[in-house]
Amino acid sequence: MRLLRRMANIFSRSRRDQDLQDEFAAHLAFLEESEQASGRSPDEARRAARLRFGNPVSHRENAVDAVTSTSIERMGKESAFALRRLVRAPVFTTTAVVTLALAIAANIAIFAVVYRVILNPLPYDDAGRLIALDHGAHALNFPAGIGMSRGLYYQYALRARTIEAVAVYVSEDLTLVDDGAPERLHVVRATPTLGAVLRRAPALGRWFTDAEAVPGAARVAVISHGLWTRRFGADARVLGRVVSLGGSPTSIVGVMPADFTFPDARVDAWQPEQMTQAMGFGIFAYVGVARLRAGVSLADVRAELNALIADLPHAFPGDPFAEGNGPGIKLFSAAIPLKDVVVGNAGRGLWILLASVLFVLGIASANVANLFLVRCEARQREIAVRRALGAGRTDIARYFFSETAILAAAAAIFGVAGAGVAVRLLVADGPANLPRMQEIRLDSVSIAYGVVLAVLAAVGLAAIPLWRRGSPTALQEIGRGNTPSAERQRLRKLLIAGQVAIALVLLVASGLLVRSFQRLRAADLGFGGTSTLTLSIGLPETTYPTRAAAVSTHQAIVDRLSSLPGIASTAATTCLPLAGGCGFGNTVLVKDHPSPAGTPLPVAVFRAVSGGYFEAIAMRLVQGRALTRSDVDRREPVVVVNQAFASRLFGNSSAIDRYIASNRPLAKSGPNASPTWLQIVGIVADTPIVAINEPPFPQLFMPMSIAGGPDFPLPSLVGPSVSVMTFVIRPRPGLTIDLTTVRDAVASVDSTLAVAQVETMQAIVDRASATAAFTMVLIAIAGIAAVTLGVIGIYGVMSYAVSLRTSEIGVRLALGAAPSLIRSMIVRQGLSIVVAGIGTGTAMALLSGRALTPLLYRVSARDPAVFAETIGLVLGVSLLACWLPARRAARISPLDALRAD
Amino acid sequence: MPRHSNDRLQGTLDLLILNTLARGGAQHGYAIAQRIHQATDDSLRIEEGSLYPALQKMTAEKWLRAEWRVTSTGRRARFYSLTPEGRRQLAQQEERWFAIIAAVNKALRFA
Repeated sequence: MRLLRRMANIFSRSRRDQDLQDEFAAHLAFLEESEQASGRSPDEARRAARLRFGNPVSHRENAVDAVTSTSIERMGKESAFALRRLVRAPVFTTTAVVTLALAIAANIAIFAVVYRVILNPLPYDDAGRLIALDHGAHALNFPAGIGMSRGLYYQYALRARTIEAVAVYVSEDLTLVDDGAPERLHVVRATPTLGAVLRRAPALGRWFTDAEAVPGAARVAVISHGLWTRRFGADARVLGRVVSLGGSPTSIVGVMPADFTFPDARVDAWQPEQMTQAMGFGIFAYVGVARLRAGVSLADVRAELNALIADLPHAFPGDPFAEGNGPGIKLFSAAIPLKDVVVGNAGRGLWILLASVLFVLGIASANVANLFLVRCEARQREIAVRRALGAGRTDIARYFFSETAILAAAAAIFGVAGAGVAVRLLVADGPANLPRMQEIRLDSVSIAYGVVLAVLAAVGLAAIPLWRRGSPTALQEIGRGNTPSAERQRLRKLLIAGQVAIALVLLVASGLLVRSFQRLRAADLGFGGTSTLTLSIGLPETTYPTRAAAVSTHQAIVDRLSSLPGIASTAATTCLPLAGGCGFGNTVLVKDHPSPAGTPLPVAVFRAVSGGYFEAIAMRLVQGRALTRSDVDRREPVVVVNQAFASRLFGNSSAIDRYIASNRPLAKSGPNASPTWLQIVGIVADTPIVAINEPPFPQLFMPMSIAGGPDFPLPSLVGPSVSVMTFVIRPRPGLTIDLTTVRDAVASVDSTLAVAQVETMQAIVDRASATAAFTMVLIAIAGIAAVTLGVIGIYGVMSYAVSLRTSEIGVRLALGAAPSLIRSMIVRQGLSIVVAGIGTGTAMALLSGRALTPLLYRVSARDPAVFAETIGLVLGVSLLACWLPARRAARISPLDALRAD
Repeated sequence: MPRHSNDRLQGTLDLLILNTLARGGAQHGYAIAQRIHQATDDSLRIEEGSLYPALQKMTAEKWLRAEWRVTSTGRRARFYSLTPEGRRQLAQQEERWFAIIAAVNKALRFA
């Protein structure tokens, strides 16, 4: 209250001044009247009154001071003085402000990313209660990643009490046909409960209903804001419009808000999954998401779901999948917070980045602190005079704080401006797979974070000159030519050693990441042809209702593309490397080699390909033969497996000519009474499925003509559906592919087909390492900034040390010391500090390496080469930073030095 | 910078002003100075340089209320009057003053 009133006093000052003036005028008038009453002439009376009253200006000042001369105003006055002092030292001020501003800008920008991507990745109401309903299976040795099935959905939706709402969804690509050109859309088919789980409603129209989610209901779709603006010109009349989606007439019933991009930014539309409980337990075709009831823990929900899993055979009596895909594989709930799924391992890199920029701020502050200390030395005398005149410790603190506060405030202002630019750059160049990357803004929270850092920097800097014992309290202690206290020298050395240590830690981290990234890019991916073009084509099930129809169409497209000039080879696959599992993995049986009871069943990812796929994508054949056009034509029951498959299932014995089969529940009689055995005819190199740095996983490739299709749905477990396939087109060396001729060729087979996801293999590989590149580049920038600031710091302090010792060095030289001796003396002094810093930094880097390990690919966090190179680099630049001042010291003329003293 | 250069004297001035206002009702600065001057048989003269800071301070502390009024001679002047808080302060300061006087008297007599 007191404070507020005082501030109000300051603001009402002009009003007060006016009142006082009027009051004084009145007072003078009264005096005049009384003088006149005692018989003086008006002129005399006026003069006498004036004389009697005294100086109105000083009265007014006194009166005003009586109420407003408070600590705030004194701080204000002190700030004005501080500002004047800083303006008079432009080099110091500019250096300090720029250094701090850059560091603060980096901190704000990275914090903005962390705040949006890690701390706040889900734009949903009460998002902390959202979980991903994943599962693991002990019998398959899968800790997680199995997903959800239809049966689990109904079991949970109907019976789980820890869950408020549950939804499952599956993504697929469908072709949209309306007035414009056909376009492939990324469509999510979800249970209608998805809206309730995420608690989001359409911006326009409505979400789909339960009645629309039963088989046979009229098809509806809710479209994304992106599709709405891109395809329909943001026209509200889109509601109720009927388009052809995947060959079926579909009416658009809603448009979602712009920030709703569940499950990821690629989504174009959401449709109801049409299913009923009577359709059976099914396979793990879905991804699950649920909203917990308030106050329920993850452990609670897992315990309840595990109990429900044990009960599955009772809930689905006689359903072989309920047993075989439930307790039979020792299924268990691996539910985790949805936030963790969305953020993934991007989180660790960003946290490390945030720590790195904080380190850089620390180094920058240490530099400014050193500059500030030098300034303080120069003003020992001024401080001593202030103390002698009665300034207390608080007054001296205010004296320093007023300067650092101005510096920090200026740095914060420039820092916020710089962060605005930095955030825009980060959003533009950041990896697209970071969640909510496009939504990163310089918001008030990030700015507040920067302001807090600036305040901390100001307080810390002001505390440094005060933090020492034996400060001179009396004028007589400030003698001429005194060297600064040993205490301050030690403090300065400590700051330098700390800077070197932190810079070393950051450089080691960036060195390790660079090394890791090099290895990542040099990794043997098992395939080649970076100029190979890939594109995806989906055949609507309404037009191509059978596997045979789909296969012959895909084959026709392959043939047509192959005949184009400049194209070396063309092939098709259900799933490219680095494109994910593409929805089909299953346990595998080996003929005449039943898995021993109790051991995990082998699991493999299944792919269906056209003839010549391995050649087109340059996938290395290790043993046996590749799949050919005639395998496809004659529907040969053959497969090619990868090396991981061969070693996982057959160990050291040869896999060629062994028979394997997709594991499925067998019928009592008929053609499905025994497994469909497939002969292994070849072994290819391992290729990554999701990420370059993943361990190899068993994969098998079958001719597309024996895989799945509309008439062989996924639960028949033959192989992946061949309705949607990705084509790989390898140009002849030195030639590029003309996309128009490709589109024409596809259109000549069926003009309603949409060509989608056109990109080169190189782009796919780049994307797979984009997050690693992002983290690496930013940490490398932090490391370089740290070492640059550190070197500047060393140079500054050593130069200053030399300037302080000028007279001492002059004496030494006059007494006959060799310049080389002086040089090595100075260098030795500097290097002893640097070496201490390097020692500390190395220990810190070794200890903190574990935090970095998950980000590293084939590089140890204690890689000796990286450590050696970094230490060498830091030592080298430090040596240079010490040597330059040392050289100057050795060149001191003894006469000048002594005269100057 | 301390707010009062000589707190004891300033305190006395405060006491005199409060007392004058308590006895004579609302008055302007000149009248207060005159009244103290006359009441002390011309032995205490209040400097304008001290009077107005004291009035300002006490107004800011809400011991006094200030308002512009017109005097009987038709002149506009700022009139000060006591607030309840001002009355409380007066009582306190009077008490303290008499205690000090008693103590000083005692000391002078027996020292």
